[in-house]
Amino acid sequence: MLGELINPYYLQVASFILINVILGISIYITLSTGQLSLANAGFMGVGAYTSALLTLNFDFPILIGILAGTLMAGLFGIIIGIPTLRLQGVYLAIVTLGFGEVLRVILVNWESLTKGSIGLSGIPHLGREILRTFKELGFNPGVMGLQNNQFIFLMVFLLLLFIVIGIIWFFKRQNRSRIGRAFAAIKLDEKAAESMGINITYYKVLAFTQGALLSGFAGALYAHVLAYISPADFAYHRAVEILIFAVFGGSEVIWGPVFGALFLTVMPEVLRFISEYRYMIYGLIILVMMAVRPQGLIDVHLLNWMKLKTKKRGKEHGTANQKSA
Amino acid sequence: MLKVQGISTSYGKINVLKNISLEVEEGSIVTILGANGAGKSTTMKTICGLLKPQEGKVEFFGEDVTGRRPDQLVRTGIALVPEGRQILSGMTVLENLEMGAYHRKDNEIKHDIEKVMERFPILKERHQQLGGTLSGGQQQMLAIARALLSRPKLLLLDEPSMGLAPLVVADIFKIIKEINEAGTTVLLVEQNARQALRVSDYGYVLETGKIIAEGKSNDLLTDPRIMEAYLGRKSS
Repeated sequence: MLGELINPYYLQVASFILINVILGISIYITLSTGQLSLANAGFMGVGAYTSALLTLNFDFPILIGILAGTLMAGLFGIIIGIPTLRLQGVYLAIVTLGFGEVLRVILVNWESLTKGSIGLSGIPHLGREILRTFKELGFNPGVMGLQNNQFIFLMVFLLLLFIVIGIIWFFKRQNRSRIGRAFAAIKLDEKAAESMGINITYYKVLAFTQGALLSGFAGALYAHVLAYISPADFAYHRAVEILIFAVFGGSEVIWGPVFGALFLTVMPEVLRFISEYRYMIYGLIILVMMAVRPQGLIDVHLLNWMKLKTKKRGKEHGTANQKSA
Repeated sequence: MLKVQGISTSYGKINVLKNISLEVEEGSIVTILGANGAGKSTTMKTICGLLKPQEGKVEFFGEDVTGRRPDQLVRTGIALVPEGRQILSGMTVLENLEMGAYHRKDNEIKHDIEKVMERFPILKERHQQLGGTLSGGQQQMLAIARALLSRPKLLLLDEPSMGLAPLVVADIFKIIKEINEAGTTVLLVEQNARQALRVSDYGYVLETGKIIAEGKSNDLLTDPRIMEAYLGRKSS
């Protein structure tokens, strides 16, 4: 019965949505200190390649590979973050975009390691590893009425869902903490924040690195979910795609890029015929959003309004946590 | 308490401050006067760590604090109210105040916020309002209140009267006097020489990056040369 409900294709799409949600959050984090970084596609590539190479060439377990990929991307984040912090706005965007291009060129040309533009294939698959572990433990998905294939994609989806919920929870907490307040102050006014005693260099590098860690993590997951990666996956198009999540969904609150990633990953799947025009539509979205709703679809006011709606003239007006989202 | 010895600061190749020395005694109000471009704000920024001097030394309670980061200096007790009252316009008044106590970890912050709101009743009234919706004078009060929440020993005020109506300016100066009487030492940068000298104990006059005169505020007030100097070349 359960077996009929589960369609591996839908689960696969859902898994990519979740990976994109992580990417959306990664750009949101750097944006929350007012830094527009387009390096997240590059960091994603670092994470993906690190994990893929470790698991392929040295038989590392996937878990270690993903962890190493995440940390490697974080390391790149610190290295790129510290010197580029002196740049602001569009200059930072250009430099970080440049980083992505440099990385792509390296990945394409370092053929002995990366197999060039052909890419790496046969990367250990996350779902298959889980299945193997379960089978070793003596569990057979047939018990649940599932085929191996269904079980694999279901487990990947559930694992990713669990991770994404964890990430959202973490960053919502962080938002309400000292770190989140510092991020917000820096975004509003760097000079004021500095004169208030906030170490802006520290917090900006922190945000930049958190963004890098998250994108590296998403990249590593991507590699082990798709089992195939190539430099093109982490090039300019990806950078724009990640940016669009935040531009479309909004970057004021974490739900903005989450919604952006969700909607913009589902849309081309549902409306197959427009997926060819994807990048044209992205361009159009940027233009329209800039003109009509520069803060993105989901902003603080919308969330407050929705809260009020669901509360229906509440007993208390909820002023204390109105801004916390 | 604060001793600035021969600092020179430059923006790239342009030397803005040339060998400036000044001293602030504990419990006093000291004013730095000067026309636009004299280097007043640069002096302030150098003292509070936003800029690093090429030469010279900044001493705070006998300790060399030259080149320390602003956040470290806030912790040691120097707070700056920046020029143009840079408040966080997207945060509420209350949040702005809380940010002022950012580096503090004690549990008297709430109490201090209450106290500050008593001094500035308008902030209490509007504590849920976004900072950006306040009027100019109210924003200046918020900026001062926020700086006070870091419990500074020395409060640096960079042109608190800038762009404010004369009546509001009088209010601000009254508040500065009150803050000082409550035990905070104040270093003030102003163009509004008369008002500033009236509240302060000692004054320095800056011109093109050099100190051209100093003395007791009362003496400076009656010195026609000074009144001319701070207005630039124009003789009044």
